[in-house]
Amino acid sequence: MASKLKKHSRGRGEDEGLSINSMMDIMVIILVFLLKSYSTESITVAASADLTLPVSSATKSPETAVSVVVSQSQLSVDGEFILAMEKVADEANPGQTLTQFPEEEKKGQLITVLHDVLLEKAKQAQAMGELTGSDELGFKGRLLLQCDKGLPFEVVRQVMYTAGQAQFGEFRFVVYQQEG
Amino acid sequence: MAGKGRRSVGKMTDLDLIPIMNLVSILIPFLLLASGQIKLAIIDSTMPAIGAPSDPSEPPEEEEEPPLTLSIVITEKGFSVKHNKEPKLEGEVAPAAEGEEKGPTVPCKDESGNELTTCDTPDHYDYVGLTKNLVEVQTKYARPDDQNVILAPESAVKYEVLVRTMDATRDEALLEDKAKTNDDGTYNTLFPFVVVAGGL
Repeated sequence: MASKLKKHSRGRGEDEGLSINSMMDIMVIILVFLLKSYSTESITVAASADLTLPVSSATKSPETAVSVVVSQSQLSVDGEFILAMEKVADEANPGQTLTQFPEEEKKGQLITVLHDVLLEKAKQAQAMGELTGSDELGFKGRLLLQCDKGLPFEVVRQVMYTAGQAQFGEFRFVVYQQEG
Repeated sequence: MAGKGRRSVGKMTDLDLIPIMNLVSILIPFLLLASGQIKLAIIDSTMPAIGAPSDPSEPPEEEEEPPLTLSIVITEKGFSVKHNKEPKLEGEVAPAAEGEEKGPTVPCKDESGNELTTCDTPDHYDYVGLTKNLVEVQTKYARPDDQNVILAPESAVKYEVLVRTMDATRDEALLEDKAKTNDDGTYNTLFPFVVVAGGL
């Protein structure tokens, strides 16, 4: 086949360079495909050593909502740093540490800074809903929770309690989808 | 003028596609990296609902069978499955004290299946055992619309255990010997609507 091609090109009597038109076609198709698949991801996870999401067999696709990320080192809302986590010695397991919210940032179970931020987000969403008259853009009380798999439930509970106090009642736990 | 135009058409060269090729070649690896191979999913959950007080003027609805109230307490010893349709034996102790005395319904297990007193890692929890237990509860006590489960983990329980427990309560996927039962290839649903309670 290759020799045939060679013969053919020799037959033409001119040395044709690499035709990039077909290459361009392929590349453009790949590019469109990748751009399409890239745009379908409605949420992103900032991968780091402090944040490993648990793996689950859940298949429901994520949807856009206010995103709270709780890693081993910090708490953030919609990518904005809120507060740093505290590591204390685990009394039940000597030699190990436990991640928790700093005591000065809490009022009982309520994380005060997070509460203020979430209340603000809720108000913004409500105002947006009223302004546009759209249910889609309005406030639905949904919260995306991205938590590190090694966090104790106490930390997750405090975030959920605080969110509940700020009118967020529906939680979406973000997980890595199990393969296969 | 016309002659000039004709001459320029005759000398027209191909469009230089090399810069575009360069751009596309850079964009493709970038998009491949950004899109990633890991897919994300979500698990829905709600806050525990506080029931509205019933109107005393309305006569109580007579139901043939009350709904199943299923709760799973996750402790360091394993899972304790409790529901309101458990058969009560005569002279039985109060349900609150009962859980403490009886120990977990599904205790911890190591890799070889030996029972453990405490679960040191998330892998020591017997998720398959929990699913089997829930299949039994569903078969015996649940109505078709009973799909809620309340999860009450202890404060020290890892978040990973909570998520894996949600998986175990959702469907029968963990039971390897169980064939896919639904027409669309999904597993038989158990209790997919999770309410995460305050914990212990």
